Amino acid sequence: MRFNSTWKINWLLPALVFVMVGITDVSAQTKASDKEWAAIVDAAKKEGKVVVAGSPDPVMRNDVIPKFTARYGIPVEFIAGRSSEITGRVKTERAAGIYSVDVFLAGPDTTAAVLYGEKLIDPLKPVLVMPEVADGAKWKHGKIWFADPEERFVVRPFSSVATMLFINADNVKPDEMRSAKDLLNPKWRGKISAEDPNAIGSGSNAAARFYHDLGEEFVRKLYVEQKTVRTRERRQMTDWLARGTQPICLNCREDDVRPLIKDGFKLVEIFELVDMPPSINGSPWLLSLANKAPNPKAAQLFANWILAKEGLEAYARGYGSATLRADIDESFLNPANLPKKNVKYFDDTDWKWVVSGRQEYREKVWQVLKTGK
Amino acid sequence: MEPRIVQFFMKASSEIVLPKPSRFRLRPIRLAEFSFLIFLAVAMGLPLLFLLTGSFNLAAPGKPALYGFDNWSRAFTDAGTLNALGMSFLLSVVRLIPAIILSVIFAWLIARTDMPGGKFIESLCWIAYFVPDFPLVLAWILLLDPNFGFLNALAKNLPFVDGALFNPYSFWGIVWVHTSTGGIWFKVMLLVPVFRRLGATLEEAARVAGANAATMLWRITLPVLAPMILAVSVLSFIRGLQSFNTELLLGTPAGIYVYSTKIYDYLQHEPRAYGEATALGSVFLVVLGLLLFFYWKYLRGDKKFTVVSGQGYSTLKVKLGRWRYAALGGCLLYIAVMMLLPLTFLVIGSFMRRYGFFHIAAPFTLNHWRAMLSDPIFLVALKNSLIIASITAAGGILLYSALAYLLVSRRTICAPLLESLCWIPHVLPGILLSLGVLWLFLATPLRFIFYGSVWGIACALILADSPVTTQAFKAGLLQLGADLEESARVSGASWAYTYRRILLPLLAPIAAAVGLMNFGGALTNISTPVLLYSHQSRPLAILLMEYSFTGELERAAALGLLMTLIVGAMMLVGRKLGLKLAGSD
Repeated sequence: MRFNSTWKINWLLPALVFVMVGITDVSAQTKASDKEWAAIVDAAKKEGKVVVAGSPDPVMRNDVIPKFTARYGIPVEFIAGRSSEITGRVKTERAAGIYSVDVFLAGPDTTAAVLYGEKLIDPLKPVLVMPEVADGAKWKHGKIWFADPEERFVVRPFSSVATMLFINADNVKPDEMRSAKDLLNPKWRGKISAEDPNAIGSGSNAAARFYHDLGEEFVRKLYVEQKTVRTRERRQMTDWLARGTQPICLNCREDDVRPLIKDGFKLVEIFELVDMPPSINGSPWLLSLANKAPNPKAAQLFANWILAKEGLEAYARGYGSATLRADIDESFLNPANLPKKNVKYFDDTDWKWVVSGRQEYREKVWQVLKTGK
Repeated sequence: MEPRIVQFFMKASSEIVLPKPSRFRLRPIRLAEFSFLIFLAVAMGLPLLFLLTGSFNLAAPGKPALYGFDNWSRAFTDAGTLNALGMSFLLSVVRLIPAIILSVIFAWLIARTDMPGGKFIESLCWIAYFVPDFPLVLAWILLLDPNFGFLNALAKNLPFVDGALFNPYSFWGIVWVHTSTGGIWFKVMLLVPVFRRLGATLEEAARVAGANAATMLWRITLPVLAPMILAVSVLSFIRGLQSFNTELLLGTPAGIYVYSTKIYDYLQHEPRAYGEATALGSVFLVVLGLLLFFYWKYLRGDKKFTVVSGQGYSTLKVKLGRWRYAALGGCLLYIAVMMLLPLTFLVIGSFMRRYGFFHIAAPFTLNHWRAMLSDPIFLVALKNSLIIASITAAGGILLYSALAYLLVSRRTICAPLLESLCWIPHVLPGILLSLGVLWLFLATPLRFIFYGSVWGIACALILADSPVTTQAFKAGLLQLGADLEESARVSGASWAYTYRRILLPLLAPIAAAVGLMNFGGALTNISTPVLLYSHQSRPLAILLMEYSFTGELERAAALGLLMTLIVGAMMLVGRKLGLKLAGSD
């Protein structure tokens, strides 16, 4: 068979265009037409409710749920609790054939290890069809950021520069805290507080990061020699910081500290240290959709809405986190929270780090703390 | 003897009708015994069995089971585990001894002496018990912190004090705060009804023989009330071993870790390490087994604890003479220091913009109360809590008074097994009990009634209450002479009639006490409903947990105080009801 140039023009080029469009379609979100979207909304209303599991967050309770219900008239049943409690419960329910949750808003450890690791979730990508969600132009990275290795199951809608530590400027001058090694100054012995690094949580996460970046000796000096005061109660750390009892706090939370700053306390957030790259994280949650969801259309509607401008902005304003949407006015944020271009950040929500790296370094930290040597 | 019971016997003695002899007389008792055995084996034994079996399963979630000892060896070879266990034992013993002594003295003064204001002191103990401990611990921190504590600031004005006098972040700080939050209140609540039931006959005989008040307490009162005092001691010791929140707040900064913290840590793993947590929890089972062995050994034999019989009953109180006001002063001083002082800080805290920060601009606000009361979840949660607490209180009284009756009737053939089963909820850490009950509910066809409903939560709480409620009824029943029941039966009364007219009135004060305790416990218990509630059945305790978890401490303090007020109101109603049923109001 001979292939002449006319054939090439008539068949090969259209085929090439078709393949190119096909490839593009695989990576881009499919947008629903107005009619299709209206059908999804109707079906969701018929299901009558959506069950969302997440952290007991006042923003969710006071801002996000009322907005969603006002928009679509669909009540949200919010199952709130520690991630490990909720997933323990969900797994037990499923073992008995009960599927009660539609949407998960969970932290990276739970999402990676349990929801994704134990296949409790469905692909989210095919159901994100709301035009303002599916439109890549609405996102800072040109598309929705799927955090899982398959890039289909878990959406990361937030990315903020994380505070590395907090100081009370009445007791510690910002100039005295330029590098992580400044924490080892004997002057600060007994003056640093941290969430207990012996337990799973932000305390051991930060310690793992110190170990990763600065090594075992630094961790030993910081947590053992410096007699860092440990607690399991986040409010206790914030109070100590404000009172100046422990004027350096490694694991205080921005949303706890900022009201105190408004009250006139001279508390300073430190985002960069010269000997450690700054970090970003996906706090407060990653989004995923339960498989065998009891209200699949309502789940789809909620997932789309929470990623749309209205839902995500409500959360971002309440929580003080930077979103990945490009169409949200972020003037309400501390500019230091917004990731800068051309800066290399350590990503604390990076899937690989969460799944393996962090746990490996946590174990090393625990070994150091046990031996104290 | 109670007037209504005397009337009953007077009426009965004039109309004695001997019952017909029957070969099947004991059948209802046996039927009840086996029904209880099956119920307890399923409700208490199965969750434990699920947990223990699960603790040997090494397979990853979702994979076929693979059994071995790795979880157990991992849990017990952890270097910190034994140290934490030792610290838990030490703390529990050190707290128990003074608390038991003080609570016996309190209960004796309230119930057996002519100390003025006894009922008022008792009411204060009740209120103190139901004040949520988390904000109360924070109140103690505000009082005792070495850097900013109110009492330390006062103490610094003393000429001989240099530096901080108090430090809550220490072994003795933990002991002190525990004595305030849970130390004697719970014990006084359980001991007072049995002290009240104690007839004065023995004490009068001792007095005639020349014994003074202290000798009577030591030689007469304590030995006769030994079953309840021992039961309360066992309950408190195991509760002390499981204690967790106070140690977490005060112990962690001082590097003091307790055993329950280790269990908690395993439950924070992703995925949760239930196997290791259950392995560690099994130590509580061993401790309970040992304690129960000695408890039963003590009660066995020819010891008699009967103080209420059909042969005359006097409730004359011990006269303290000029010491009565000193005793009242001592009780009030203790309550003022251990409860009213931190409680005042807690009340103030609920009206502060930030708990304990007096120096910020406009430190006081009504916002937390306003926000709590206008929270749409609040009213639903309040309604759920009241339903759950009422079912729990009533269900517990009905179920465990009957069980206790069986245990003391000496006609059961498997009393030790029954009693062991009903202790199980007390040795399982709350979250593990919740998980076991969740498995149980989901495994039965009744799951559509129980799972996620207020009924399910109430059932779980009734199960959790079994040790305290059963032991309280058992101790009360041990005080009643068999002649009361025998006389009624000889007079032709059925068991149900005897139970209603004789036993129930005599047990009413104990029923009122444990009913109220269970009502209050159901309002404040977090760990049992945490895996069982749904959006529709969320109780106030879960709302309190959510506030605490998100750092909304002031709102949590307001909610905690409101829950205490509810319990206080119920206490007034319950006391009236208990006294009315007892025929002494």
